[in-house]
Amino acid sequence: MNRLSRRTLLKGAGVALGLPWLESIAATTAGAANPKRFAAFYMPNGVNVPMWTCEGTGRDFKFSPTLSPLADLKDQITVFSNLYNLNSKGGDGHYVKEAAILTCQTIKKTQGADLANGVSLDQVIAQKVARETPLPSLELGVTPVAIGVDAVVGYTRVYGSHIAWANANTPLAREINPRSVYERLFRAANAGKGSGSKQEALLLDRVLSDAKRLRAQVSASDKIRVDEYLSVVRSLEERVTRASSGTQQPWKPKMALDLKTAPTDQPTGHAEHVRLMMDMIAVGFQSDTTRVATFMFGNAVSNVSFRFLEGVSAGHHDVSHHQKEEDKLRQYQLINKWHIEQYAYLIRKLKAMPEGESNVLDNSMLLFTSALSDGNSHNWHKLPIVLAGRAGGRIDSGQHIVSPDDTPLSNLYLGMLEAYGASQERFADSTGILPGLLKG
Amino acid sequence: MRIALFFLTSALSLAAVETFDSVQAFLGTHCAKCHQDKGGAGGFKLSRVTSLESLKTDGEKWKSLALRVKNGEMPPKGAPAPPLDDRVAFTQWVDHELRNQACSSGIVAGPSPIRRLNRDEYSATLRDLLDMHLNIGSALPADGAGGEGFDNAAETLFLSPIHAEKYMDAAKFAMDFAAKEFKSHNMIFVATPKPNVTPTQAADKVLRRFLTRAFRRPVTDTDVAPYFALFQNAQKQGDAFEPSVLFALRAALVSPMFLFRYEPPNPTPNPRPLDNFSLASRISYFLWGSMPDEFLTDIAAAGKLQDDEVLKQIIPRMVKNDRALGFSQRFMDQWLRTRELTTDKIPDDKLFPGYAGSEDLRSDIRLQPALFFRELLVRNLSVLNLIDSTHTIGTGLLEKHLDLKLPLNAGAKSQPQWVELPKGSNRGGLLGMPAVLIVSSYPYRTSPVLRGAWILDSMLGTPPPPPPPNVPPLGEEKAGAPAASVRERLTRHRADPNCAGCHSRIDPMGFALENYDAVGKWRDQDGGKPVDNTGELLDGTKFQGPEELRKILLDRKDLFLRNLTNKMLGFALGRGLTLKDSCTVDSIVARVKEKDYKAQALVEAIVLSVPFRNQAGMVVSKEQVKK
Repeated sequence: MNRLSRRTLLKGAGVALGLPWLESIAATTAGAANPKRFAAFYMPNGVNVPMWTCEGTGRDFKFSPTLSPLADLKDQITVFSNLYNLNSKGGDGHYVKEAAILTCQTIKKTQGADLANGVSLDQVIAQKVARETPLPSLELGVTPVAIGVDAVVGYTRVYGSHIAWANANTPLAREINPRSVYERLFRAANAGKGSGSKQEALLLDRVLSDAKRLRAQVSASDKIRVDEYLSVVRSLEERVTRASSGTQQPWKPKMALDLKTAPTDQPTGHAEHVRLMMDMIAVGFQSDTTRVATFMFGNAVSNVSFRFLEGVSAGHHDVSHHQKEEDKLRQYQLINKWHIEQYAYLIRKLKAMPEGESNVLDNSMLLFTSALSDGNSHNWHKLPIVLAGRAGGRIDSGQHIVSPDDTPLSNLYLGMLEAYGASQERFADSTGILPGLLKG
Repeated sequence: MRIALFFLTSALSLAAVETFDSVQAFLGTHCAKCHQDKGGAGGFKLSRVTSLESLKTDGEKWKSLALRVKNGEMPPKGAPAPPLDDRVAFTQWVDHELRNQACSSGIVAGPSPIRRLNRDEYSATLRDLLDMHLNIGSALPADGAGGEGFDNAAETLFLSPIHAEKYMDAAKFAMDFAAKEFKSHNMIFVATPKPNVTPTQAADKVLRRFLTRAFRRPVTDTDVAPYFALFQNAQKQGDAFEPSVLFALRAALVSPMFLFRYEPPNPTPNPRPLDNFSLASRISYFLWGSMPDEFLTDIAAAGKLQDDEVLKQIIPRMVKNDRALGFSQRFMDQWLRTRELTTDKIPDDKLFPGYAGSEDLRSDIRLQPALFFRELLVRNLSVLNLIDSTHTIGTGLLEKHLDLKLPLNAGAKSQPQWVELPKGSNRGGLLGMPAVLIVSSYPYRTSPVLRGAWILDSMLGTPPPPPPPNVPPLGEEKAGAPAASVRERLTRHRADPNCAGCHSRIDPMGFALENYDAVGKWRDQDGGKPVDNTGELLDGTKFQGPEELRKILLDRKDLFLRNLTNKMLGFALGRGLTLKDSCTVDSIVARVKEKDYKAQALVEAIVLSVPFRNQAGMVVSKEQVKK
């Protein structure tokens, strides 16, 4: 394959160029340039605000105690202050906030009958690059979907368990078993190999026609479900046929996957579980099996025990309602900091993966979020937001961007879409790209 | 489905009696400023709810209006708020009127949305289809819940790309398994090529039989043909007979006809009885969480399943079948929220090492409510046993945990047993079961608030409104002062008028359970002081301890039964209930009361109900009407 590296571009710079050359660049850019990755990390229950907030603005800022694990990565980090998510206002303290963290839309109050949110940021990106990698996106977590409906506030807990939304009515189910993630990456990377794939395509074609027949018979509201079926089976079929047909330029893994190195399916605790999931994101990105991932450290209102941390005795949600008690605030901060450490772990890992003339981190955008600032008051102003990576140089990293109070979070997202090469005129309630985010 | 009736007091009719006029006055006083027609804030204009007729034509608007008033979301912060008693009276009136209106047009079938099999149903169906005893669905993501709080609700059974991948894998796995395992193999290969049977004939027979079972209804030539084509295709590739058949069957296991609960839609504008095969599936997935067996299918094939007497005979047979154990478990652990014992509700391991240290004990505790309910069904006992009972489910480990002497069969103490409780045991009914007491506690201490709210929500179906935003803290401890007890702190909390309204209704019932610690063990002392287990209802009724609380709940047995009926009907229909279903619920409740609250009577009344056996007429959209 004729790859156009940055060096070939520089070499050719002085030469008088004809149109065909430009066309060849345009045609191969997607495959040849270093791919950009996007990942979002969601931490439930907000933060201990004073311990989170960084002092100083611009490049001259000091990492706060909670963010200190990122200090030595400063040139790749951007910290944001004063962003808020207006559409997550009201409703209740958690579900409305969490479900909107990547959609910036107001969810519909329902126990299920008419689930409604918006398309999430990760899925906007995934839809843009879906055809370039075997898996459009990975949705990961460590705890299963929360049980039941919350009759007190009137929401199904499905809302509190999903940050990735394929469309307004369809959240994306998460994989929580690290071994299954690896196997999935492996299979996706090796789709189309062997004699089974043609048969598989045939089989998928068969069931698609069953679904089309079914679709013709059912009511309008039932069509939504049948359409979901059609869309997920179609995407699987496309993957199989695309990989096995010789007509299209085949995708090649940037790193070979080996099932022998698949991780355990029974991690021994929360900490190991989270680490393994971070590793799986790294594998997905390094092999280029996917370029988009979302990870939930827990569901909204998660009360996972953090007793494995020295000095923490209570559950996560319990300490987030610290009621200004010193001891709970202390534990709250330890839990927040632990989350940042896991994030930093993945950042370092991607930084250590060379790619082109830089590394995978440099070509990524890793967004760390919580949907609340102070969990005690369910505050949706001044959200705790960090970005790592530079999207191949588009992000002006290494600074603390202190925006005017109540600047829409969606303005950051709009800028990230631009940096990714998936620019849009608007994202939800955005009013313009966040000033200071992009280079040049 | 729930509106109003949100507190025990509602049942005591403490709130002022409202009339349509006084309700209109309430709306005029509190809502008109913003929602008068020119204002119409938030897209809501008061004119929508100013006629009596609107209760009938715009019931859902009334319902959401009442919910917002009840939860204190409206009037919004800053506007003068109506007193809680007025809110209660208002929402109670709306609830009552909406139910009356819903019933004025008679009992209706309601929607029956298409839905996919949930994870448990998928596993169980593969198990029964192939006689394959592996939990093959465990690779699928868990399903969220909707409607009445169950993970079989059509509305939240969405599909993600990983589902498609896992279905493909599972189909291949299942067919590879069937190729090797004797029982599964024989279930599939009801015919094989012989000197007088061609491969084509054999394949046709095998496919027809399998597709009928997998799709849970008779198949036509048109249904079979494409699968037969897959078989032929594999044959052309040189595959042997069996692998060719299994390949075609793999497709069947990924077909929407297998993965979805499909019912041929009703093309007429009027409701009609469900076809026999759809009804067989409804009954089977309700009580067994799986496909109908041969017995049920045969009755359906004979066209007799809509016969009341036939249904009445089938139900006891089905609830006694081993497969119904899964129903008790799935229903109870979601209704009571005890499924959370495996996820978020983990008692502190340092404070409660006995619980943390024994997986067997935890498992006994988790299963106790489900097995108890199963006994009520199998023995056809009163569902009021859930409030108080002379019996419970015991094991050796539970006996020890509860510090009781139970008449267990000594040789099988690890096996759960239906046993009589000793007199004065304080363990009758759900509220004596550790599973319930743990799920309504914090990991490190009990919470009268959580327990009171749990009773109001899970047992009575009258959840309290959420706490207002910016709740003042329970009260900070002053340095050096002796630690205040939970009761002292809550008493101070209730002194705040913002909190008193709700907490004086929530907390007292929780206090009556203070003798049970955060893992459900009995205690007479807490922190060195005698446990204070007294409570007082708003009407002044004083009570003490769990036994008196059970009596108070038994006084509200119809509220309890109504809630249980709502839950089970929602589970049976696999959807959230609407206003129009409240009329069905009324009739089921009446039937069960006539039959002394018998558990099988409840199941029977649900199966015999209009929405369970019928399908609504096709909804004609406005555009279609214009055409």
